[in-house]
Amino acid sequence: MSDALLALAMPTALLWPLLLMLRVPLMAALADRGRPAALIDGLWCTAPLPALALALGVEEGALALDWWLFGGHWALDGTRNALLAVTALLWLLAGGYARGYLAGELDKAVAGDGGAEARLTRFALLWPLTLSGNLLLLVAEDIASFYLGFAVMTFAGYGLVVHSGTPDARTGGQAYLVMAVLGEGLILAGLLWGAGSAGTTTLGGLREGMGEAPGGAWMGLLLWLGFGVKAGVVGLHLWLPLAHPVAPTPASAVLSGAMIKAGLFGWLATLPLGEPAATEAFTWLGRAMLVAGLAAAIGAALYGVCQRHPKAVLAYSSVSQMGMITALVAMGLVAPALWPALSMAVVLFAAHHGLTKGALFLGVGIGEHPPRLPGWLLWTLLALPALSLTGALASGLAAKWAFKTVLYDGGYKVVVTWLSLAAVGTTALMARTLWCQWQADRQARQDGLEPLLSPMPLAWLATLLAALTLPWWLGDELVDQGWPPLAELPGLLWPLALGLAGSVATWGVARWRPLRVTRRLPPGDLWWLLVGGWQRLRVWAQGSLDRLGSVQGAWVAWWVARERDAIEALDGMTRGEGWLRRHAAVLMMGVAAGLALLMLFGTAGIGPA
Amino acid sequence: MSGALLLLATLGTSLVAAVVIFLLPERAFRARTGINLGAALVKLSLVAWMVWGLSHGREYVIEFPVLEGLAFVLRADDLGIMFAGLSSLLWLLTTIYAIGYLEDSPNRKRFFGFFGLCVASTLGISLAGNLFTFLVFYELLTLSTYPLVVHRGTSKALAAGKVYLRFTLTAGMGLMVGMVILHVLAGDIRFGEREILAELGPERRPLLVGLFWVLIAGFGVKAALVPLHGWLPRAMVAPAPVSALLHAVAVVKAGAFGIVRLVYDVYGIELSAELGLLYGLVVVASVTILFGSLRALAQQELKPRLAYSTVSQVSYIVLGIGLFGPLGTIAALSHLLHQGLMKITLFFCAGNYAEELGIHRIDELDGAGRRMPLTSLAFTVGALGMIGLPPVVGFLSKWYLGTGAIQAGMPWVIIVLVASSLLNAAYFLPVLGRLWFRPGPDHGVGAWPEERRLGRLETHGWLLVPAVATALFSLMAGMLAGMPFSPLEWATRVVNAEYLP
Repeated sequence: MSDALLALAMPTALLWPLLLMLRVPLMAALADRGRPAALIDGLWCTAPLPALALALGVEEGALALDWWLFGGHWALDGTRNALLAVTALLWLLAGGYARGYLAGELDKAVAGDGGAEARLTRFALLWPLTLSGNLLLLVAEDIASFYLGFAVMTFAGYGLVVHSGTPDARTGGQAYLVMAVLGEGLILAGLLWGAGSAGTTTLGGLREGMGEAPGGAWMGLLLWLGFGVKAGVVGLHLWLPLAHPVAPTPASAVLSGAMIKAGLFGWLATLPLGEPAATEAFTWLGRAMLVAGLAAAIGAALYGVCQRHPKAVLAYSSVSQMGMITALVAMGLVAPALWPALSMAVVLFAAHHGLTKGALFLGVGIGEHPPRLPGWLLWTLLALPALSLTGALASGLAAKWAFKTVLYDGGYKVVVTWLSLAAVGTTALMARTLWCQWQADRQARQDGLEPLLSPMPLAWLATLLAALTLPWWLGDELVDQGWPPLAELPGLLWPLALGLAGSVATWGVARWRPLRVTRRLPPGDLWWLLVGGWQRLRVWAQGSLDRLGSVQGAWVAWWVARERDAIEALDGMTRGEGWLRRHAAVLMMGVAAGLALLMLFGTAGIGPA
Repeated sequence: MSGALLLLATLGTSLVAAVVIFLLPERAFRARTGINLGAALVKLSLVAWMVWGLSHGREYVIEFPVLEGLAFVLRADDLGIMFAGLSSLLWLLTTIYAIGYLEDSPNRKRFFGFFGLCVASTLGISLAGNLFTFLVFYELLTLSTYPLVVHRGTSKALAAGKVYLRFTLTAGMGLMVGMVILHVLAGDIRFGEREILAELGPERRPLLVGLFWVLIAGFGVKAALVPLHGWLPRAMVAPAPVSALLHAVAVVKAGAFGIVRLVYDVYGIELSAELGLLYGLVVVASVTILFGSLRALAQQELKPRLAYSTVSQVSYIVLGIGLFGPLGTIAALSHLLHQGLMKITLFFCAGNYAEELGIHRIDELDGAGRRMPLTSLAFTVGALGMIGLPPVVGFLSKWYLGTGAIQAGMPWVIIVLVASSLLNAAYFLPVLGRLWFRPGPDHGVGAWPEERRLGRLETHGWLLVPAVATALFSLMAGMLAGMPFSPLEWATRVVNAEYLP
């Protein structure tokens, strides 16, 4: 594509969601009083369309804007295109889904519910804003634009999480925001330190400079943890299981499918992955990441199967999957030589997880409001993305094969084994999700069925289709490993079999003797410990702030006392002056006598000499 | 127009306006408004003219001797014109705001008269060419602000005014003593003649260090450095336009600008670094930044929270000065403008909430975003900028401070910056959350403390327009930072002149 066209297309892709956002208050203002406008209409849904066209239509390109911040630099290349395409597609389909999902709110608003109207307006405003942040961070090559996109996405996303306004949503939103602010702080520290040492304003310059800078690994650590909040690194993942269940389903889908990937993109963009010149310390950082990733992959699966809400299970599954991706990214630091091939596998895995998890989340809503489909077909369709996520078919199989071959060729069989164990956990999580949905579905079927040709089922089916066919449309270079030969299939499918067997066994046991463990493991695990700690810290801090206040009070009081002393001294001088005036005559005589005596003795002393 | 005449005209505009306003009767509302706005516009265009002239290499100087070896010097240089531009732009907006704010209240003649004097002295400070001239206007500023602080005449206002005078007059005395000693030591030092002090013998060095801290303490009172900040939160009782003036346009800025002049144009950055003065400044600034943020966190009312936030944010300027190197200097100079734009927005908005809805406490703000969307948007922009999020200007300052700290070899400053960002987030985000995400009286929950429908828009137009305008300026100055004449660009220009001989 020519430069001039790109210079037009890229800003259009980023500005179109913002324009649609500005349309919302206009429409709300123009609507008659008491008859709220249908803010979420077809045009509103097209917000990510220009970005999708850009990602699919442009191979490579760059745009420089000198007047923007510290000099804007936006680019498109292989990795960015793939992630941008998947992100835009997921936002598009989830937006279409939201039209159906929020139709109930619109009915309420039309019926005169002011709260529903306010919620709807807020959603219609913040959805495109969050989207524009997400798109900007994917095309940004200069640090300022990247940070801008990341911050816009994070803070506007808060509004999507707390949409319903219930106490649970508040808790979820609080967890989301607290962790996000913490993450922003870490990212800011890493970016400032890295960019300051390298003297650069672009992500490429940062990546290169960090590899060789003294203390570079510490910058890497800050950035890894900072982006790790978004990507759900173990210990920083607290917000995921709290925020996902309470967010509206389309928002959960983009949170887990697209926005989490922003954390991954942050790593890819800033860490010196595959740089042979990177210092030894980075290898250690890589090892730490590897351990953390595998711990998250397996630990989240173990904790997640104990959850009861399907979205909480899916959130833990996201933590688990992102743990696997973390482990793969870590290999880029541990074994830089593998990175060129491995990076393709990582991007493919991320794209696959994004769309598949999106389909799974949208499927939760479908399970709650089932469309007019025969039961067996509906459940097959719901199970397909779950199977794909375990790596048994379609994009999941391709992604799994891609990283497995690279790691085997590199001689990292142990890592593959651990990842396979994580896949066993994934299978169990998927079984648990479907089980939870099954429970909800029986209730929903009694409430009535939705027509098939409404926005929700259509968007869900389209997401499903896009997720399963991902390897065929995303781009050839990402699936250069091709498909596994038949002989390799047992090696790839044993985690699925083991996971299924384990799930069935557990289910069998639970039928005889109900397991009570789910009651004791609330979603959000460590968050509740943190809340407890925070209360104690607050009491302590209040005490020390009060002490600080009293110290300041004492300091001011001391100065005021000194001032009073000074005034008193001045007053004393006035009194002294009065005394002098009164006794002036006597004093004068005294002085005169003294002088006379002095002269007398003085001359006496001088005289004889 | 010749250079000297232009300088005098710029300075004289607001002086003449002040005198005319004092002569007009109290009820001449239209004439007073016309003179106020006219003078502000004329001054803004004169300053813009000088900015254009300076960028084309013109010079603007005027001086006449006062005593033997002591001269009254006015001179527009790149640094001074930056401050002049800020104060005249914000003066225009504050005047508009004040006209709307004080509608139908008593003593407007006194208010606007001293208001004009106050801005005239700010302009004098920015265009002063030596320490003596600087000090004359600096003291004039103190005296002309006092009637504004106590404008309401309540006992609380009078007490705040007393504290204000105590702090500032004592500081003024310290400054005077310091300046006299400096004059005895080295004669009349014009700003920019850095070599005079640098060439003094090594035996003078301890004296120079002592003098530096005396002068910093003098300026530090107005710049609200901890522990000399006590007057600022107290002065919160003043009307909202005065708070805007104190925090963004004139007083606090004058102190920070004084420190800038002292370090760059009297001592010179190299001598200051050699004497080890900069490290001390960084430490003082860091303590102030963290202390101010912590105190802000503990406030339950909106204006005191903003006041402590000023204590913290103004020290970013001092921090930037302390970071030896061009990036730190860019941060300091641009933050002089950036902080003004953002903080004035916040104070305008706080004033709007108080005037329209009677809101003073933070927990009364629930759901105000629906009732006053534009004011709340402006507040959001200001608050996000204070946290340091792009594309608001606050991010640019933070970026240059951080990279400047690395350049100066003080990476620990980044911890201070990040901690300050987190604290800023901790005290601003809950406010934003209340504005936008809590149900309030407009959602049918509770009632506003004292609602007065002041205008057809969400509030009086004269109150709304300045708030929105400054919010837009803070956004534009951030997004278009690479354009010529943006604050960042001009700061870079000043720094290039400073560091590249």
